[in-house]
Amino acid sequence: MKLTKEEVNDIALESRLVLTEKELEGTVKFINNFLTMLDSFKELDLKDVEPFSFAETLECPLRADEIHPFENTQGIINQSAHVEDNLFKVPRIMEAQ
Amino acid sequence: MQLYELNLHEMIEGLKAKKFSADELLTSCQNRIDSLEKNLNALITRLDDKKISNPSGILAGVPTILKDNICTRDIKTTAASKILGEWKPPYDATVWKLLRDAGSVLIGKANLDEFAMGSSCTKSAYGATKNPHDISRVPGGSSGGSAAAVAAGYVPFSLGSDTGGSIRQPASLCGVYGFKPTYGMVSRYGLISYGSSLDQIGPFARTVRDLQIVMSVLAHHDEMDSSSFREKNYDFSYDESKLNLKGKKIALVKEFQSFNLEPSIANAMDKIKKILEDEGAEIIEVSLPVVSKYSLACYYALAMSEAHTNLERYDGVRYGYTVQDASGLKEMFERVRSYGFGPEVKYRIIAGTCLTEPSRCDEYYVAATKVRTLVAQEFARAFTQTDFILQPAASSKAPKINELDQIDELKSYEADLYTLPVNLAGLPGLSFFTGYDDDNLPVGLQLIGARWSDPEILNAGIVIENHTGSPKIANGGLN
Repeated sequence: MKLTKEEVNDIALESRLVLTEKELEGTVKFINNFLTMLDSFKELDLKDVEPFSFAETLECPLRADEIHPFENTQGIINQSAHVEDNLFKVPRIMEAQ
Repeated sequence: MQLYELNLHEMIEGLKAKKFSADELLTSCQNRIDSLEKNLNALITRLDDKKISNPSGILAGVPTILKDNICTRDIKTTAASKILGEWKPPYDATVWKLLRDAGSVLIGKANLDEFAMGSSCTKSAYGATKNPHDISRVPGGSSGGSAAAVAAGYVPFSLGSDTGGSIRQPASLCGVYGFKPTYGMVSRYGLISYGSSLDQIGPFARTVRDLQIVMSVLAHHDEMDSSSFREKNYDFSYDESKLNLKGKKIALVKEFQSFNLEPSIANAMDKIKKILEDEGAEIIEVSLPVVSKYSLACYYALAMSEAHTNLERYDGVRYGYTVQDASGLKEMFERVRSYGFGPEVKYRIIAGTCLTEPSRCDEYYVAATKVRTLVAQEFARAFTQTDFILQPAASSKAPKINELDQIDELKSYEADLYTLPVNLAGLPGLSFFTGYDDDNLPVGLQLIGARWSDPEILNAGIVIENHTGSPKIANGGLN
């Protein structure tokens, strides 16, 4: 199923990407060719096939439930341009309609 | 002979025997970088620290370079993307910690395709890296900077990452050895994620024996990576008694035999088959119909879906490029991400978002995870019949940089067909040097093994290297 320019633009916005007209045109062509490539999956009978997982990671290894404070929190804070009182500060989340 | 020309094991021996000092070695490598870097652009960041953390470690005083998607505490780490800006990670990747604790000295962070998405090392916010054998050509990618650095003699070994061939293909195009370990063999803690179920860190070097040395340092369980192996030991030591291919079976993939290979790659295949037979190995054929026909679509469906999830974290709040005057969070995210990501990364994020939307998820993403099961099962069956699989590591010689624009995006993905199935099944793969073609460009091939057969593949690689000889250092555009 081919996606329209509007649909691809909506998907891009969902990913928080605003595309220029030229970028959008390239992306529409790319996505539609890519989906055509994936249509080849329909040739396979996948009904009884389990999704893939590595045998070694079937069981998620857990560490002891102990707190180990990260020793370089200042190193994290120093990298942000949006810090106030050692907390990250973000612009307003609820926007006017 | 200059010190930078020595291979890793020769450097280790020379330092130990006090034939030269670590300072002299580092200076020689730094001088080499000084003379070639303007031609090659292999590095994003250069470092001149000469501190050796462990003077008695196996790598004491040996310089190295890491792909710039491997986190290094207080050292700029970019993933070749504008979106990370001047970010300095607050922690070290496990692989760097292991190398540093073994005494290695970091002298640079290498260029890559942005977020490791590409196979040319031209899709970097820091400009294209050039192939040190012919600077009008690409070095391959995404770990092109790491491969070029070893080929040109900046360092005796470097690290890259391989999500669909990003170590093996540039190793082949740059004429060095590149090893993608079994998924789980080397910790990815501190590797900037692209496709987490596919990503694997591994080394480049100019001899297979040097790869063994680096792997002996890197192959450790790490509780910070849930995919890291447990309760096993792997012996990567150099042992002449294990360099024997007599009675081993080495398979060609039946479905790939109808492909038209470039003459230099076809000749290399013939040459290596003959070497293997002379060593007493039996060349057989295995059939991998699902692998050969569906891997490409399967791989890109999964890699893009995982990339879309992994790259959601780049929002300008905690690190990297940001804006100060956004009226709200949505505007901030949109401005940061739209400016910060390059075109290829945007394609992949949008494609991944598309494939994982509830209305399409079963048809594409879930289907791809099932196809992956079939791919892994097919490989597992093949490895009941053969010890190794032999095939090209790249579909062509290194393309000219100015010809890349003529290649369609999806068409360029097809070039990865020889490498990416290995990541889908989590297998180890060695890209090895075979010789030079008529244009004096190196030609590499690939040996693939069953999961956890990493030491055996490297031993087989040494047997081949004993026939072909090791690659010479590239002149990097100098006359």
